[in-house]
Amino acid sequence: MSAVAVAHVTGVGHAGSVVSAICVRGMRRVLARPMLIMPMLLMPLIFVISFTGAFGSLTRVEGYGTDNVFNWMAVYAALQGAVFAGVGGASATAEDIENGFFDRLLLTPGSRVPLLVGTVAYSSLRSTIPTTGVLIVSVMGGLSLTGGPLALLTVYVATWGMAAVFCLVGLTVVYKFRTMRSMILIQVFGFSSMFLSTGQVPIHFMNGWLHAVARVNPVTNVLRFSRQGFLGDITWSLTWPGLLALAAMVLVSGVLALRQLGKLAA
Amino acid sequence: MSGSTELASSGADIVIEASGLVRTFGEVVAVDGIDLAVARGEVFGFLGPNGAGKSTTVRMLTTLLRPTGGSARIDGHDVVESAPAVRRIIGVALQDASIDPLMTGNELMRLQAVLHGIPRSEARRRCPELLARVGLTGAADRRVATYSGGMRRRLDLALSLVHEPSILFLDEPSAGLDPTSRLALWEEVRRLNRELGTTVFLTTQYLEEADELAGRIAIIDRGSLVREGSPEALKDTVGSPTLRVDVDAALLEATRRLLSGFGPERPAREGRVSVGLDGGASRVTEVVRALDDAGISVSHLELDAPSLDDVFADATGRRLEGAEE
Repeated sequence: MSAVAVAHVTGVGHAGSVVSAICVRGMRRVLARPMLIMPMLLMPLIFVISFTGAFGSLTRVEGYGTDNVFNWMAVYAALQGAVFAGVGGASATAEDIENGFFDRLLLTPGSRVPLLVGTVAYSSLRSTIPTTGVLIVSVMGGLSLTGGPLALLTVYVATWGMAAVFCLVGLTVVYKFRTMRSMILIQVFGFSSMFLSTGQVPIHFMNGWLHAVARVNPVTNVLRFSRQGFLGDITWSLTWPGLLALAAMVLVSGVLALRQLGKLAA
Repeated sequence: MSGSTELASSGADIVIEASGLVRTFGEVVAVDGIDLAVARGEVFGFLGPNGAGKSTTVRMLTTLLRPTGGSARIDGHDVVESAPAVRRIIGVALQDASIDPLMTGNELMRLQAVLHGIPRSEARRRCPELLARVGLTGAADRRVATYSGGMRRRLDLALSLVHEPSILFLDEPSAGLDPTSRLALWEEVRRLNRELGTTVFLTTQYLEEADELAGRIAIIDRGSLVREGSPEALKDTVGSPTLRVDVDAALLEATRRLLSGFGPERPAREGRVSVGLDGGASRVTEVVRALDDAGISVSHLELDAPSLDDVFADATGRRLEGAEE
């Protein structure tokens, strides 16, 4: 191996190149398989269409902060799509492990962390597709940006973050069990996290344990953060808890995933 | 004294070295304390049946699996303590050609170059060269899913060479290949070794492959090394050629008793008796006469010079899977 290459694999530039290459590969694989795009896009679209259709009158009840059901449900559906995208990113790694391709990646002489970061970046990027789809359908249904264009940015930040979190949680499990079947665990966990939040109804409508769980569920803060621009103005008091929740979830799930990645050669 | 120990004490430039290497999976001991030494520029064959521990050994030597016990060094770098340094100098083509079928040959080459930190300008020069070398220029922009097994193997080989490794690990490189593809792959391995001086560590279950390519062979069975040396030296240890006689099942025992007078019995497949024929080819006439006198009708009789299969049988009491077919 040339001296140039030896020096290169130890640098930040190399890490960035690997992250980018893994991310691009993931997106190419998705685009190469339209069958993968359809459920990824259709699932949140069906969510937003069916929920707004079935519960169209729900937001007439005082307490939702809007009388337009799209303003309440769009973000929820987008975040569901992001969870699905994150799990999909981890599933792609499970597939790589099962068919042996991951060994090729593990043989990189540089740090293995960029392999993880690249997969997370791919999942976040992938979540842009369902998020955009949900927003387009919702705008067609009457979604209004009460907080201005910045509202769209909060949705994208939240969905990128949620995709990253659930990709990292998924990778923790995949690195541990090294099989696609383990993804069922993550799907259950992902959807439970969403259902046990303020996704469907405001927290003051909940009773008992459901209220208690939703109150401590960090997803509730992410929903408040990303929904605020559709219910009123964007304020810092709703922004920082959401960003903090996302950062904390990324940090915790990231540490867990890194620990399992480190054990992969054990 | 094993071949590896002799090599290590001979002052040769050892680039692959394992000492008491152990790997267990729960109660199962996959690799049971093996010692290995491979000199720079050697083509080393690691021969054994399925499940013998070949791939587990390779995975430990290439840093993909942590040893449970013992140690291994690649060109002086410990496979556990200095794993990134090991990965810089080795090329690995693993069993089953772990290639993404949705990517094209070119895309995979570029990804491999990025993983190994090859500057883009250098990769642009090197990748087409390697694809040309393995005869895949015309298929470079096709998805790997459309490649034949032989093409995938050749691409796998090209991928393992992107960073110009000085040591190449090939795990079952010709498994599942047709004879033509196998010969082409062998020629490429020889060329790499001859022209670039690449050290090749080759695992195989094919006797012919080990015989054709390797200058030195270690035979592994049930996690332990059972023989080691050059193919010629190993065959010499068997001594006499193998006489194989196929008879009707009802006559097997009588044939076995009769032939035991001509040499030690060797493992054979069902319906066949094999013995190491003391005295060699000059005694075939005597054997045929004895069989005829005993009224044993023979459907097939052959005498083979000692093979690596005989070496394996001599060491383990079994034939390599499918070796006689």
